[in-house]
Amino acid sequence: MTNHRGGWALIQATWLSWMQYRSFFFLLAFSWMIGPLIYLLVWSTAAGGGTVGGFSRGEFVAYYLILILVNQLTISQTTWTMGELIHNGQLNRLLLYPMSPVYNTLASEFAGKAVYMLFVVPVSGGLALLLRPELHLTLANGLAFLPALALAWALSFTWGYWISLLAFWTTRADALLTVEYSLLFLLAGQVAPVALLPDALQVMAKLLPYRYMISFPVEVITGQLDGAGLLTGFALQIGWLVVALAIYRFLWRRGVRRYTAIGG
Amino acid sequence: MSHPQIVVSNLSKTYRVPQRPPGFWAAVRSMARRVTQDVPAVCDVSFTIEAGEMVGFLGPNGAGKTTALKMLAGLLHPTSGTATVDGFVPWEREAAYLKRISMVLGNKSQLMWDISPLDTFRVLAEIYRVPPAEFRTTVDELAALLDMGELLTKPTRNLSLGERMKCELVAALLHRPAVMFLDEPTLGLDVSMQRRLRAFIAEYNRRTGATVILTSHYMADVAELCPRVLLIHHGQLLYDGALRGLGERLAPFKLIRLTLDAGNGRSPEPDALLPPGAEIVARENGGLTLRVPRAGTPDLTARLLSALPVIDLSVEDPPIDAVIDQIYQEGAV
Repeated sequence: MTNHRGGWALIQATWLSWMQYRSFFFLLAFSWMIGPLIYLLVWSTAAGGGTVGGFSRGEFVAYYLILILVNQLTISQTTWTMGELIHNGQLNRLLLYPMSPVYNTLASEFAGKAVYMLFVVPVSGGLALLLRPELHLTLANGLAFLPALALAWALSFTWGYWISLLAFWTTRADALLTVEYSLLFLLAGQVAPVALLPDALQVMAKLLPYRYMISFPVEVITGQLDGAGLLTGFALQIGWLVVALAIYRFLWRRGVRRYTAIGG
Repeated sequence: MSHPQIVVSNLSKTYRVPQRPPGFWAAVRSMARRVTQDVPAVCDVSFTIEAGEMVGFLGPNGAGKTTALKMLAGLLHPTSGTATVDGFVPWEREAAYLKRISMVLGNKSQLMWDISPLDTFRVLAEIYRVPPAEFRTTVDELAALLDMGELLTKPTRNLSLGERMKCELVAALLHRPAVMFLDEPTLGLDVSMQRRLRAFIAEYNRRTGATVILTSHYMADVAELCPRVLLIHHGQLLYDGALRGLGERLAPFKLIRLTLDAGNGRSPEPDALLPPGAEIVARENGGLTLRVPRAGTPDLTARLLSALPVIDLSVEDPPIDAVIDQIYQEGAV
């Protein structure tokens, strides 16, 4: 049931609500920055005056500062915004509206990200002034970054959404989430840029969906990828998005059928 | 001839509940072989409701009232049977149907906690596509009826339970639903707030002709609002008709309250006058309460008045609460 007007009104209202807790969300955003910030300092110190794996100190700074921004834009929060609703029966409320419940999750998504950005943009701007990043931005890389970022968000959102739908069947999807977070940390360019990972891990990173949720757009804008790397990257990103959408549709239909069979 | 707005035929709902004996090993065993038990919540219920009726679902906790209501609101798939509401099959949850109905769950809020009720109403108006002019008149009208004043612009979290319930009702009515499902709308409210909300629901029904289906634990809700009740117990429809008729059918007796003049030092006893089937059920400070078969009441009253020094006498129906309690205990009509 498409209902964009209702969805837009919901985004505004959710943003208003969440702004009242901005200090909480700023803290949350800060906690998500800490990991990448530590690795920024580790790698830029390691590079010193020279390079590590082809990265200079300033290039590490640029990579991680952009990664911080991308991470906060694409990070998935559907476990809390959708999974919880299924658990505690609040989904009933949404099923009564002439509007697909996905709008509610999207509203939290956009409202939340808008709140984080109020914190993350000034902070990373300040860090940029302090740490002097080195970014060789070309028009082509800048233009390719935008679709890569949009797809990274879409993939992260859809992937997180299908996992949160497991709440229809089990109350123990948390273990799966813990594995997900570890893989995101290891394979999505957080602990180190994917190009610096050992070979076996690099192959895994390039095949699994996690890199395409965070570090792929960062690699694009910092010019780490050649033409072939860009094309296979986009192909895999789109491929995983299609897979995630298919899983989502499959689980949503069955989940709602189950939910309305057993009662929320 | 008009068709009934709500037609329910042989509707049943059975929940399949996993069974697990307590203890660690039982939990381990149950992972290999899930044992489930079928719990019937609604069994083969049929009824029709005309547009504009106000109907109360009565029944003890766990009788199946809410399950029935949820099926009609499209939140639950039945196990078998059919239902149509306003020409729609509820559990297909078509957008056009959802715009025609509204459901208030007394224990679940649809207000957004951190913004004012008016802001929530605006979101709902967009979701239901209520035109701005109609939205303003509806809010003004409903707010005046419920005497809401500045409640509308306070953050919802600062409102009392009763104030919030007023807002829930307004939120449920913004799109002017043709059918309202009210599940325990007065839960936890004080007596005067309950009365207020009842008056409001009755007024709304009178003004708009909306059909109202209500479940409540408070007999007063049902007694005041619903000329017709459906009594559900153990998932079965035990009675469908006027609340008054339920009392007559269930309690084939009346209560006579009697105060006698004990001035001559010897308290007179009516025992000898009582016909078979009548009995004294209470004696307190000079007063007596007799339980008398309905048919014998006029006769006995006349005899009591002529034979005894009566100061005061009244004939009453047994309180409906007591009647209902009797059914809940005995499980039969």
